[in-house]
Amino acid sequence: MESKFNARYLAIRYGFLALLAGLLIFFSIFANGFAGPRSAVFIFQSVAITGILALGVTCTLVVDGFDLSIGSVATSSLMLSAYMLVILEQNAFVAVVVCLIMGAFVGFLNGILIVRMKVPDLLATLGMMFLLIGLQRVPTEGRSISTGMRLPSGEVAEGVFSTSFLWIGRHRFDFFLEKLIPVSVLIFLGVAFLVWLFLELTRHGRLMYAIGSNERAASLAGTNVNFYKILAYMISGVTASIGGILLSARLGRGDIASGNNLLLDSVAAALIGFAVLGAAKPNALGTAIGALFVGVLLQGLTMMNAPYYTQDFVKGGVLVIALVFTFALTARSHK
Amino acid sequence: MNKIKRKLFTTLGSIAMLLGSFNLAIAGMPAPLDNPGNVKIALVRYLSTGDFFQAYLGGVESQAAALGVDLRIFDSRQDAALQADMVDQAIALGVDGIIIQHGLTESMKDAAQRAVDAGIKVVAFDVNVENSAIPQVEQSDYMLGKLALEQAIKDNGTSFKAGYVYVPGIAPLDRRDVAWQEVKTANPGIVEAAVFGTLDNPIANTNANQARSVLQANPDITVMFAPYDEFAKGVKIAVDEAGMTDQIDIYSADVSTADISAMREPNSAWAATVATNPAVVGEVCVRSLAIMLTGGNPGSSVIVPPTLITQAFLNSEDIKNMGDLGSKMPQFQHADVAMADWMPLPSR
Repeated sequence: MESKFNARYLAIRYGFLALLAGLLIFFSIFANGFAGPRSAVFIFQSVAITGILALGVTCTLVVDGFDLSIGSVATSSLMLSAYMLVILEQNAFVAVVVCLIMGAFVGFLNGILIVRMKVPDLLATLGMMFLLIGLQRVPTEGRSISTGMRLPSGEVAEGVFSTSFLWIGRHRFDFFLEKLIPVSVLIFLGVAFLVWLFLELTRHGRLMYAIGSNERAASLAGTNVNFYKILAYMISGVTASIGGILLSARLGRGDIASGNNLLLDSVAAALIGFAVLGAAKPNALGTAIGALFVGVLLQGLTMMNAPYYTQDFVKGGVLVIALVFTFALTARSHK
Repeated sequence: MNKIKRKLFTTLGSIAMLLGSFNLAIAGMPAPLDNPGNVKIALVRYLSTGDFFQAYLGGVESQAAALGVDLRIFDSRQDAALQADMVDQAIALGVDGIIIQHGLTESMKDAAQRAVDAGIKVVAFDVNVENSAIPQVEQSDYMLGKLALEQAIKDNGTSFKAGYVYVPGIAPLDRRDVAWQEVKTANPGIVEAAVFGTLDNPIANTNANQARSVLQANPDITVMFAPYDEFAKGVKIAVDEAGMTDQIDIYSADVSTADISAMREPNSAWAATVATNPAVVGEVCVRSLAIMLTGGNPGSSVIVPPTLITQAFLNSEDIKNMGDLGSKMPQFQHADVAMADWMPLPSR
């Protein structure tokens, strides 16, 4: 009996990490050029943006909410930063600050809609999503923003993506090897650490988990439920706008896009995170590892020349397996 | 006094000249375009978001304005069923002509036939509605691919290792793929080291991630064929990040102001692109329709020829945006297809 319990316990706690290790070994052997520090850094880079968004999703999941608007907040912040830089000719600092404020404000609106207007979270954020997808196209009449573009008024935009803004998306720090670690990876790790710190080690984080598991009880115990819910959506909005800034700095132009894939990928990462270390709940560490897991798979498959449609299939497969780890195994072990 | 008189005369003179040219255009147009204010045409769109489609719409609008006809725009935003309904709406509205812009053969075939039955002139852009009464306006995607690859061979010889960005099942990409397959068969020295590509939003970013993996796995690639500018943008980001700009040349299709600045970045790997001006394509659609309205026949297939744009050309002519490109490259500004003596052109 004892050993059986241990086997299940081990499977729940370390199964997913073992899977990740297995994949790494598999790809290192079979995918040409997979093993190596640059390749590893690149995996981090490819998941940095969805990972940052996923950390925001995690915060809303913790309070038993859901934010569908993150993808469109990210693309709005992409467009807004390009607008600030190219059309209003502001500097990088102003562009970044304005985007962060925009993200926080959208999160605040989401929160108000949900806690004050009593709109269910999925519906409120769905509405916000459509609103932003439309709104981000209004100032340029649906066109992408780049230097030299003709404005609706007929003038030519003269502003440029300043080097200090592009630095956010393109600079690499030396770390043992020359030009190894991109800024976006450090920001991803930084955001992951902060969210982890906030959720696991502060009183506020614990209260948010309490709200998520039983809102009423938390409220009766004197928690300001509304405040923490709005806070969760604001965190989500800010992380999404950080993602948008990184995207903008990497692309060097304001590309119109719906951001739906960003939404789905980051939700997947957050859900995969449930399975890591048998947490069975949203958690920052799991989300970061979930995002990396998807990144490892996609990088390996692309290196092995797998066609594009296999990637969605594989992403789906990983998500299903992760959910099985979370729900089936943990539910049985509680019996 | 004299001064005022002279001014008056020159003003009157210029007014007369203006009226003259105005009359010339109007009077010269055959019926029913001799009274263009009463002619209604509809543009029924399937795809509308993105630079290409914005510029296309601009072309349709400016040519319609030059003719003086009343243009109505129906935008189905990628809803195939709605697009078919919109054709019926246009019929009910009593339009004289319809331009069908993209869409699916299956959903548009019957709707287009209904419009033809109602006595409406129809042209289709980039969608095959399988109807002999409907001319098909196309930007030749095959030629886009072909010209880009010819340039690649000119720059790199007939034997190199290439990466290819392709997503099957997308009509224009499939037509561009035909050119790639031909070139590969004709030149056994060209090795396709990797095929990748995705249309996941944001396209440039996701393709950058994939291209980066491909470059890591195949560090000896020297040519990237990315026959869609969003692909090329992604590949360029990856090449820059991998520090391989000196080694790799990117050949692509389509062009926009943003593409021009990316091609002109110092040391850019983006060597050449081949494009038709979407605004010109829009103008050609309206002109074909105008010819049909006056009883003419533009031919069953109206092809807008593409133009090769190299990085060297952009740099030597100091071209910064689409406007500059048009003025330095007249064949990009105007395509001499679907023309008639009486046809008024949009003012540049």
